[in-house]
Amino acid sequence: MELLLTLRKKDYLEKVIGMCDGVIIGSRFVSGYHLTLDDLETINIRCKAEGCKVYIVMDNFISEDERMSMYEYLEFINELEPDGIYFHDLGVFEAAGSCGLRSKLIYDGKTVLTNSLDSSFFLDQGIDSVVIARELTLDEIKQIVRRNDGKVDMQIFGHMRMSYSRRRFLTNYFKEIGKEYDYLGRETLTLIEEKREYRMPIVEDEAGTMIYSDYILEMFSELPELRPYLKRGIIDTLFIEDVNKIVSICREYRRVTKENSEFLKKSFIRNYPDSYSSGYLYQRTNISKDE
Amino acid sequence: MNKIELLAPAKDLQKAKIAIMYGADAVYVGGKFYSLRSRASNFELRDLEEISVFAKRFNARAYVTVNIVFHDDDYEGIVDYLKYLERIGIDGVIISSLGLIPIIKREAPRLECHISTQLSSLNSSAVKALKRFGADRVVLGREASMDQIEQIAGNSDIPLEVFIHGGMCSNYSGRCVLSNRMTLRDANRGGCAHSCRWKYHLMDGDTAISNPNCLLSMSSKDLRASAYVERMIRCDIASLKIEGRMKSEYYIGQVVKTYRNMIDEIYEKGTLTAERLEYYDNELSKAENRPSDDGFLSGDCDNSKHLYGVNGAGVTHDYVGFVHDFDPYRNIALVEVKNIFAHLDELEAFGPKTDNLKFRVENMFDENWNEVELANRPTQMLYIRMPFRVYKGDMLRKAER
Repeated sequence: MELLLTLRKKDYLEKVIGMCDGVIIGSRFVSGYHLTLDDLETINIRCKAEGCKVYIVMDNFISEDERMSMYEYLEFINELEPDGIYFHDLGVFEAAGSCGLRSKLIYDGKTVLTNSLDSSFFLDQGIDSVVIARELTLDEIKQIVRRNDGKVDMQIFGHMRMSYSRRRFLTNYFKEIGKEYDYLGRETLTLIEEKREYRMPIVEDEAGTMIYSDYILEMFSELPELRPYLKRGIIDTLFIEDVNKIVSICREYRRVTKENSEFLKKSFIRNYPDSYSSGYLYQRTNISKDE
Repeated sequence: MNKIELLAPAKDLQKAKIAIMYGADAVYVGGKFYSLRSRASNFELRDLEEISVFAKRFNARAYVTVNIVFHDDDYEGIVDYLKYLERIGIDGVIISSLGLIPIIKREAPRLECHISTQLSSLNSSAVKALKRFGADRVVLGREASMDQIEQIAGNSDIPLEVFIHGGMCSNYSGRCVLSNRMTLRDANRGGCAHSCRWKYHLMDGDTAISNPNCLLSMSSKDLRASAYVERMIRCDIASLKIEGRMKSEYYIGQVVKTYRNMIDEIYEKGTLTAERLEYYDNELSKAENRPSDDGFLSGDCDNSKHLYGVNGAGVTHDYVGFVHDFDPYRNIALVEVKNIFAHLDELEAFGPKTDNLKFRVENMFDENWNEVELANRPTQMLYIRMPFRVYKGDMLRKAER
């Protein structure tokens, strides 16, 4: 399993470059990442020099107005010769074909890629691998990975995206209550449902609004078992300000084994206290109204 | 050019028949399995067969939703189910699992594959990809503007379907699992708790920055695309879709009839005047129980397109009776009571062949021909003397509140 890191701030590069097998980078318009095109080029050169792989993310939906820009963007990243391209909109699949990039595609279905059949379907289209949803149990994950020859990536650490809207919830809300606030791109805002207590991070940018899990997904206990079968494991660094925490999770994930997992997990949580969870790994979510 | 299809939802067999009788060219229904509204669905297998036969009798089509976001275990029995749907004459299935396409093409090739809005197809390249995968029709995402829909249609060579009316996810369809986190109910497998409509405090660090008297909500108004139907016809959209598999027969009847008449008028006269559009909008308002707007069709959705206060509002008419029979010799209608109404109330009858005819309830009788002053027992059958002819399947509503 390759250990990948989402690199959302260029400044973190030097500290993390030796800690992971590759970085995932992206820019505005096509992703929730906000690096400039110059940043992408700089990071790409630096990573290649260090033998660190580079993956470009295009996980926004693309409107018809943006379609030609999508083609131009693909031509730009083609010149970077990335190791892979994470995509979400099927338009990217089509466009990548005309740029000769299809074999580098990795389909990140976010919430909708939840089974072996669809994973196989995408792999049959000649792409490199798929990212499965976070809303799966461990048993389901193992089954999907087993049935798809390990051509499966998944998020193994970080806040999980729970919703994605083209609507600008924060802009509209502040307009509604007549309040001026510096909220665009801000990563410190959270939502608390009026009858609950946990805080879910909310971020708005030009592409819309995203809400994330209140907790950080961690997989210390499961990683030793999954590692041989996953193609890539992704550490999402969104909302993590402390670069030492990022470095630490990379280091601990690299050396975690079945035997030391509990120790490393406790030690990590003690050093970096936060709200952690195994997400849906042991929690099915198809409970009906009657249950 | 084929005439555009008016596609209506139905929660059960009765509502599916209402939709077709009131003018839908096609209905989409969900079985008890594999459907995002499976909890609400009352379609047993034999009902699917019946609606398939019924639709053909009216030269209409029937589609079945197979649109949950499948987990591995959910596929159990799917091949037999698809073969069954094909065998009983269902015209197509609405799917979000692309892995099903090769299975459908192999096992049930007479079923059309319609790609659900769950795929959020918002550009013509995505549509091309879906066609390449074997799709027969693509339902566009509800985030496309009318201008973009025209461009997508101009750049696509596969039938496109567009939502024109009803409730909308405030997030991209399928990309919201708030319900999973907050209620353990899977939003993508028929369990959505509508967490987007709840109220939220907005915090910056430990400081509350929301207005306690107006908390943040992501609730969107319902969609009403009446003003865009003409443009959708002109850009060769294949199907106009009404949302609402949870809605009442009254809602289905009124909304379907209104769009049916509107579409026919556009084809007949070539255009729709402002006055006629206003008339149709008033008709649609009679069915509404939530505020509506044109969503993304006019561009972005600003705060005026959100609901921050109460979610329900604006019911202007009460559905009070369903006509089961009519005796033309005595001008007596046999009516099932749906909601309270009284002697001398002014009601309005409407139906596939009945256009908003008002009357005052002068005489009504129970099954033993005893005079009744107050109809207040839902499902009770009453005889009502009518000043005009009505038909089986017509509905009665109480005029504006």
